[in-house]
Amino acid sequence: MEAGQLTGAPRTGLGSVRHWANENPAWVALGIMVLVAILLIAGEGLQEWGQRTVNGVVTGSYLALGAIGLTLVYGILKLVNFAHGDMLTFGAYIAFTFDVTLDVPLVLAVAAGVLATAAFGIATELIMWRPMRKKKAGMLQLLLMALGLAFVLRNMIQFIWGARPRQLDSDRTSTVGWFEDLTGLTIGTTELYVVIVAFVVLLGVAAMLRATSAGRQMRALADNFDLAETTGIDTGRIVLLTWILSGALAGLAGIMLVAASGGLSPNTGFFILLPLFAAVVLGGIGNAYGALAGAMVIGLVQEWSTLVFAPEWKVAVSFLVLILVLLVKPDGIFGKERSL
Amino acid sequence: MTDAAGALEAQSHQKQQALVIRDVYKSFGGIHAVNGATFSVRDGSITALIGPNGAGKTTLFNLVTGFYKPDAGAITYDERSIFRKAPYTIARRGMVRTFQITKALSAMPVMDNMLLATSKHPGEHLPTLFARPLASRAREKDAVERANELLDTFNLRAKADDYAGTLSGGQRKLLELARALMTEPRMVLLDEPMAGINPTLGRRLLEHMERLRTEEGVTFLFVEHDMDVVMNHSDEVVVMALGKVIAQGSPEHVRGDQKVIDAYLGMDEAQAEELAKAQELRGDE
Amino acid sequence: MIESLPIAFSFDFLSAWDFWIGVGILAGIYGIFALGLQLNVGFTGVLNFGQAGFMAVGAYSSIILTVEVGLPFYLSLPLSAGITIIAALIIGMSSLRLRADYFSIATIAFSEIIRDIAQNSRGLTGGNQGTIDIELSNDNGFYTDTWYDASDWIQANLLDPIGLSDSQFSDLPLFLVIWTVLCLSAFALNRLIRSPWGRVLRAIREDEDAARALGKNAFSYKLQSLCIAAVLGAVSGWFLAINLESVSQDSFEPLYTFLGFAALILGGLASFGGVLIGATLLWVLLEGMRFADLPFSDDKDAALRFVLVGLILILLMAFRPQGIAGKKEEMVLGD
Repeated sequence: MEAGQLTGAPRTGLGSVRHWANENPAWVALGIMVLVAILLIAGEGLQEWGQRTVNGVVTGSYLALGAIGLTLVYGILKLVNFAHGDMLTFGAYIAFTFDVTLDVPLVLAVAAGVLATAAFGIATELIMWRPMRKKKAGMLQLLLMALGLAFVLRNMIQFIWGARPRQLDSDRTSTVGWFEDLTGLTIGTTELYVVIVAFVVLLGVAAMLRATSAGRQMRALADNFDLAETTGIDTGRIVLLTWILSGALAGLAGIMLVAASGGLSPNTGFFILLPLFAAVVLGGIGNAYGALAGAMVIGLVQEWSTLVFAPEWKVAVSFLVLILVLLVKPDGIFGKERSL
Repeated sequence: MTDAAGALEAQSHQKQQALVIRDVYKSFGGIHAVNGATFSVRDGSITALIGPNGAGKTTLFNLVTGFYKPDAGAITYDERSIFRKAPYTIARRGMVRTFQITKALSAMPVMDNMLLATSKHPGEHLPTLFARPLASRAREKDAVERANELLDTFNLRAKADDYAGTLSGGQRKLLELARALMTEPRMVLLDEPMAGINPTLGRRLLEHMERLRTEEGVTFLFVEHDMDVVMNHSDEVVVMALGKVIAQGSPEHVRGDQKVIDAYLGMDEAQAEELAKAQELRGDE
Repeated sequence: MIESLPIAFSFDFLSAWDFWIGVGILAGIYGIFALGLQLNVGFTGVLNFGQAGFMAVGAYSSIILTVEVGLPFYLSLPLSAGITIIAALIIGMSSLRLRADYFSIATIAFSEIIRDIAQNSRGLTGGNQGTIDIELSNDNGFYTDTWYDASDWIQANLLDPIGLSDSQFSDLPLFLVIWTVLCLSAFALNRLIRSPWGRVLRAIREDEDAARALGKNAFSYKLQSLCIAAVLGAVSGWFLAINLESVSQDSFEPLYTFLGFAALILGGLASFGGVLIGATLLWVLLEGMRFADLPFSDDKDAALRFVLVGLILILLMAFRPQGIAGKKEEMVLGD
């Protein structure tokens, strides 16, 4: 193209604003959040808002762990993994078994849960998804199979462990003193651990995706599967790696969720599946950073909503956010433009 | 010839313009697929749209038929604006199209494909389906007759009850065209109609197009890479490159236009050869 | 919660007929439910994962209109259908322009919102578990008054004369009515899908853009399909309410949409007759397993049955996606 040539349609006034908003959805989202925060502080007070924000960050932390695995599988394999929520449940139950039933130290129990879920992810890939991809199965077929898998997993869990709610052997009463002294806000010790663990892991995942060759290949596949295949990437290996990551993160997310919130039942993971989808869509499918941002937004929005609505509407609010995002910007805050 | 002069020349033919495109833009992210295109299509003509790969031809088709929404510009069909109108609205006004990747509906029989194209069918709308069952049945009968005629023309009559998925690639292309004609259109946009069809059938197709143009005044705009077809069977040629229209006029005129030659020099050798061959053919005639 | 299935009878009077008529009633209810799914998924390419939500709207609205507002059946049922259509319009107009997988997620979200509303609106839906015991009398009488009259009529005029007056057959009138509605609906839908209107739907199923290029307003057709499915969902909700004699939000979990899909897949996509087969098979399977008398507690028993259903679904999708009566050539979905 020659220099000085008109590139693209000429834009006027409002059109430019809309265009900028379209091209920079992340800033728009941030702006909206800040605006909402200001309104809430003005209406309910800094203390109230602050406490909700702390709770929201905790929720967002384990949501993020779950959302990243979901978005990677969705982005790379175009598979809507309805069984992802139940994988969270699975990881939590394995950890529970090691921790309470077998009386293994909590840390090892957590490791067991993570590994078991990763193994489950690998199993589903090798037994179900890979053969179906070879058969060129359509989206509806895969979707319904994922639904069936969710069903099987959830009910197997119920069959093995029963429907009665369980508890992990975690400390749910003590709060972090220095935090309370510093900010006047309460955060449980376990909750703080959850946040720290989540952030460390998330940073690790982000680093892995950015810096390692495996990570780069994952991103390439998420961007354009067929094209990446032709560049010689060992898709089989990378897909397997994706499932390992997705499964492990799911297991960890389930454990963190139960550690923070207390009750564990066969439906625990399924209950947050829709908020996870909300986070994934919000952040842009296939985008790990987006999933993190989306999860934080969902967590915060859910907790902030309790300032205005009754707490039982919390989850409904995140559904509403999901629908709004789907309507306004289905590509999500971080869109399809970049995969990370 | 500049865009403006090209448009003037077209207008100086003193005939109605079926389709007028003015300063149309469409960008995807950072890619300016159509970058200020202007041209017009004379009513009752067979006009070819050519250009190197990536010139924006299919994008333009999508813009004209409503499948993409332009960022800016003006598109007028039959002297009414179709800027940012829905595809089905534009189709109902008499402009139909075929697709580069054929959209013959393989899960339906060939006859169903054809009947689908029936326009103004009372049976297709729930209120009239129930309120006017006789009218619906009558229209259906008419449609079947017309469909059979068209299928005959394209040698597909024998396959009427087979699922369209069982047809060969070439047959599916013909089905798509027959289906488009079923709507009794005023203007037909064809995206690479000759690709994948054997020459005999292709000639038949062209004959049909020319007959429709002459006898019924149907306007055709087609994207084509086959230069023989372009030079020998079209009334006018529009040349696009890099999202803009760089030339418009009769085939002879365009063939000699330096800008066109320059644009094609930018394409690969095979295409340049083709163009040269076609120019020769034209010169020998 | 998978602790119990919505069954309306107790085991005290368990005898073969009673039990199987009950199974037939459930099969019929979910058959009507799945007819709507079939129209959407099998014939239009609309991935409606919110059908349980429409069932809920139908059930709750008909109960509220009859019990709280006091309207007679012949008014409350059509109004209930109307309200469900409004719900379908809201969902459809906001979400049908999304691509298929996004739409499916949106419909689940909507369905869950409806369930949340049912659970939390104590004033409207009664009790803090969102349960309405519709037999509760108030000045406006029982929800099922009209139904009892009709049932008695059927019993007296159709069943007693042929000797089916045993208490085992007490649910037979309901069974007959449901299956009559089911068969008539399936028949009507079959005719509809063969009509020119149905032809447009089938085209949209495979390739919306092709339909648009031929002058069809694809969005409008998808919306119509969704509305019809919603009404079928509402009808199934009415029968569910009559059958259970109380309604709680538990009955409208995504689980039930999933069971509807299981019935759909079993019977075969793109076959309305297949829906009847699939729904019957599914519930015979689910309920028939009770006879297997496995040494597990109730909740584990139920869980095992659902594992089986899930496995069947997976295997069907993997090896015979067209189910029992579906047509392989029609198994397309524009991606």
